[in-house]
Amino acid sequence: MPDLPPRAAERLVRWLVGGRDADAVTGDLRESFAARGGGRAWYWGQALSCAAVRFSPSRRMLPGLGQDFHYALRTLRRNPGYALTAMVCLALAMGVNATLFSFLDSVYFRRLPVPDPDRIVQVMRSGAVFCTWPEFQSLHNNFRTLQAATQLVAAADAELGRVSFNVAVEIVSSNYAQVLRPGTTIGNWFTPADDSAGGDPPVVISDRLWKQRLNGSPDVIGKPLRLFDRTYRIAGVAPPAFHGALPPVFQDLWIPASTVLSSASPLRVNLVARLAPGATFEQARAELQVVAARLDPNHPVRVYHAKGFLWRNGSKAFMPVIALMSAVCAMVLLIACVNVANLLLSRAAVRQHELALRQSLGAGRARLFRETLVEAMLLSAGGVVFGLIAGYWTGRALEIALPSVPVEMYQGLRFTMDWRVALLLGAAGVGSAILFSLPQAFAAGRTGLNAALKGDSGSARSRQREFYTVAQVALSLTLLIATALLLRALLRVQDIGPSFATDHRLYVSVWASKDTPPDEAQHTLTGLLERARAIPGVQDATLAWEVFGSGNLCAATSAQEAPQPLNGNVVEPNYFDMMRIPILQGRAFLPVGSLHDQPEVIVNQTMARRWWPNGDALGKPLWVGCKTSQRKIGQVVGVARDVADGGFGDVPDPLFYLSRLQDPGNGHFSLVIRTAGNPCLWAKPLLEIAQGGGPHLRVFEVESLDDTVGKSLWEVKWQAGVLGALGLLAILLAAIGVYGVVAHSVAQRTREIGVRMAVGAAPADVHWMVLAHGLRLTAMGIAVGLLLSAAAVRLLRGFLYGLSPFDPLAFATASLAWIAIAMLASWFPARRATRVDPLAALKYE
Amino acid sequence: MPAAYLGEFEQIVLLAVLRLGDGAYGVPIRQEIAERAGRPVTVGALYATLDRLESKGLVHSWFADPTPQRGGRSKRYFRLLPKGTEALAESRTMLQNMWRGIRLNKEDSRA
Repeated sequence: MPDLPPRAAERLVRWLVGGRDADAVTGDLRESFAARGGGRAWYWGQALSCAAVRFSPSRRMLPGLGQDFHYALRTLRRNPGYALTAMVCLALAMGVNATLFSFLDSVYFRRLPVPDPDRIVQVMRSGAVFCTWPEFQSLHNNFRTLQAATQLVAAADAELGRVSFNVAVEIVSSNYAQVLRPGTTIGNWFTPADDSAGGDPPVVISDRLWKQRLNGSPDVIGKPLRLFDRTYRIAGVAPPAFHGALPPVFQDLWIPASTVLSSASPLRVNLVARLAPGATFEQARAELQVVAARLDPNHPVRVYHAKGFLWRNGSKAFMPVIALMSAVCAMVLLIACVNVANLLLSRAAVRQHELALRQSLGAGRARLFRETLVEAMLLSAGGVVFGLIAGYWTGRALEIALPSVPVEMYQGLRFTMDWRVALLLGAAGVGSAILFSLPQAFAAGRTGLNAALKGDSGSARSRQREFYTVAQVALSLTLLIATALLLRALLRVQDIGPSFATDHRLYVSVWASKDTPPDEAQHTLTGLLERARAIPGVQDATLAWEVFGSGNLCAATSAQEAPQPLNGNVVEPNYFDMMRIPILQGRAFLPVGSLHDQPEVIVNQTMARRWWPNGDALGKPLWVGCKTSQRKIGQVVGVARDVADGGFGDVPDPLFYLSRLQDPGNGHFSLVIRTAGNPCLWAKPLLEIAQGGGPHLRVFEVESLDDTVGKSLWEVKWQAGVLGALGLLAILLAAIGVYGVVAHSVAQRTREIGVRMAVGAAPADVHWMVLAHGLRLTAMGIAVGLLLSAAAVRLLRGFLYGLSPFDPLAFATASLAWIAIAMLASWFPARRATRVDPLAALKYE
Repeated sequence: MPAAYLGEFEQIVLLAVLRLGDGAYGVPIRQEIAERAGRPVTVGALYATLDRLESKGLVHSWFADPTPQRGGRSKRYFRLLPKGTEALAESRTMLQNMWRGIRLNKEDSRA
């Protein structure tokens, strides 16, 4: 016999009633339940009655809200076309915003996917890496307030079976898993105990590598994997969500640092730490600051909670893209809101009579507005829900597409819809609902009751709708122009490319830190160059301060003149020869020189033309240096052909070169080699040489010049693609807006059209009349849009690779495209107008 | 001046509490209403009404000690306050005044 009531229902009642009353009510129910001898359905009915009371409108602040809700729901159910159109418009805009929000979430807020992520801290030093590997080994057990692990990332070739492929490796201290506790899908992480164990060292592989290279087979544990010329054994597979300690960069493998770094290796390592039990963030920060100051007092340490993008201040790197995307997504949402506002206005026009009647019977304007607002909120809620679904799928599609892009920063991007995204989108939904219900509130206030009751169409409302359509056209035209500009920039970049040789060339960038004496740095760099040339298969090698683009230097033509900031580059004498940049006048640098010489200067064509317009640059003096007291006088010895600097396709700026032998630059140099075959095969020897450059030399990326070019092209393509997609969406929304307004005016003017046709207007006239209406709106929109674009496209300057933001072709194409779209959008209503049967239209009267 | 205006259901609930005297808590109140007025009452509706009456100062409630036969849950007892009795009396007077001289029966109206 069932003598106990359903637990879930009882819990529901307790929650609904709350407080001590919950006890009394459930007690009563239990007593009655026992007296009835059961009846689960009865019990649930009672629970629902509590819910009805709990949520009843009379208990709330606003009486009648429930009524409004029912009314709005009924309106939407009765006009499914209208409800669906509004929701789809909103869902499209909300979808892109959901994707943007989830992106922002992962840039700024998302924690590492490990237990207690709030207790993970990231330790950074401004301008340097935390400590060297031996320093870490001696101090990591002495922290009182935290457990610390190190990590260091490297790109390498891994070999599984006979297949070799490129991987991102996180070289970590063996206590990494004890600190982060990421867990595994199968197998185990290595521990400090493995450091002293014999045999092949362990490696943990990522879920992605496991699935792509090993088909996700469960018997991979113990399989050999070749890396850095030694054999590792797979010890475990990381969980799918864990991609290493540096989101968004995706790591493929984790190996213990002791297997690649000798105990005396001067390589510097990053710190990642977990607060010790009971310790606070502040205590940990204080302790780290003391320790860090002891190791290196020149570079202060900063401690953060680990959240968002941790890779090289990734959130800063994404800043321009984020700003652009936020602006564009907000614009799309605004256009969608205007669309829905238009729809609401046209609904209001249909219901004018009813609304006026209610108003004359005593319904307050506030009450009518609240009704609109409730309807708007319902539409918006639908938009948000569909938007979250759309955003989820967009995110999934991006996650599938992005790992194949050549820029590692984008490969690990994750678009997860979590509660923060939902909350933000909900807020956007509420804001939108208020935004698109406002116009109707104003319109309703202005319509005279008398006129409305007599059935005169509200011309104020139509005018308002036209105004919104104009705004919509203007906004979407701005996006279209921006897209056109980016596409033009892309074509130009692909057309031009860098104006120096990039094939078979590989570079590694190194930095002789500031405290290195200049002579020693020179010596180190010369040594690097010689050893690079000695690598078998390397045809030549050179050094340049900047391989792509240029740095900031200063120069002046006389001692009296103040130094002028100018682009400059510091290069090895054979640079021009190796990069195939011809010297047009004079000569290249001599392969000898010292830091005490009077510096020789080579200028580019643009500089020669602008600074010495008479064509006599050769032999002229040039004061080089940004501080008047420290500058040196040099002499122009040659004029080199312009190269695209800063970005491909830039209009060349004045630029001058100094010889590396006569000027130390700022210690940053790229060592470029020209190889006999595929340059990537020389990555390892090049890296070895760079790493053997001495204790003061830090090594950054190794990359082939072709890859670098490909990456920067890819960024333009990506931006143009995303902006183009959003632009298309905006146009679609705006076209729906134009269609709606024109179609609605045709419906309202049916009688007038009928009369016109009855007195002899040809279908073509009527057709044109309607079409002209649409075109008039579009023309106004384009006029406003052009002005708006002129103001907005300045923001794009950084993305255009030298193309003027006021490129007339882009503006013209976009405007023409919009006119075509407007024609199309008004075509269908116009055709409907020509089919009006005069008799029927007049009978309707 | 009327003490408080009472709705029909409020009157029924007050009367039930009055009839039950010291034993007025949820279960018997609902039973009383079901038997005498012939209409089933949900827990939610009853407590919502009783809460409203209490906030108007017509009834007083208190929690009794928990008893084992209800799974250790306490009962909430209700008692009419003087203002409640007054309101009931007023409602009755009002209704009686309204009814005076009215006959609904066919025969009565013919007479």
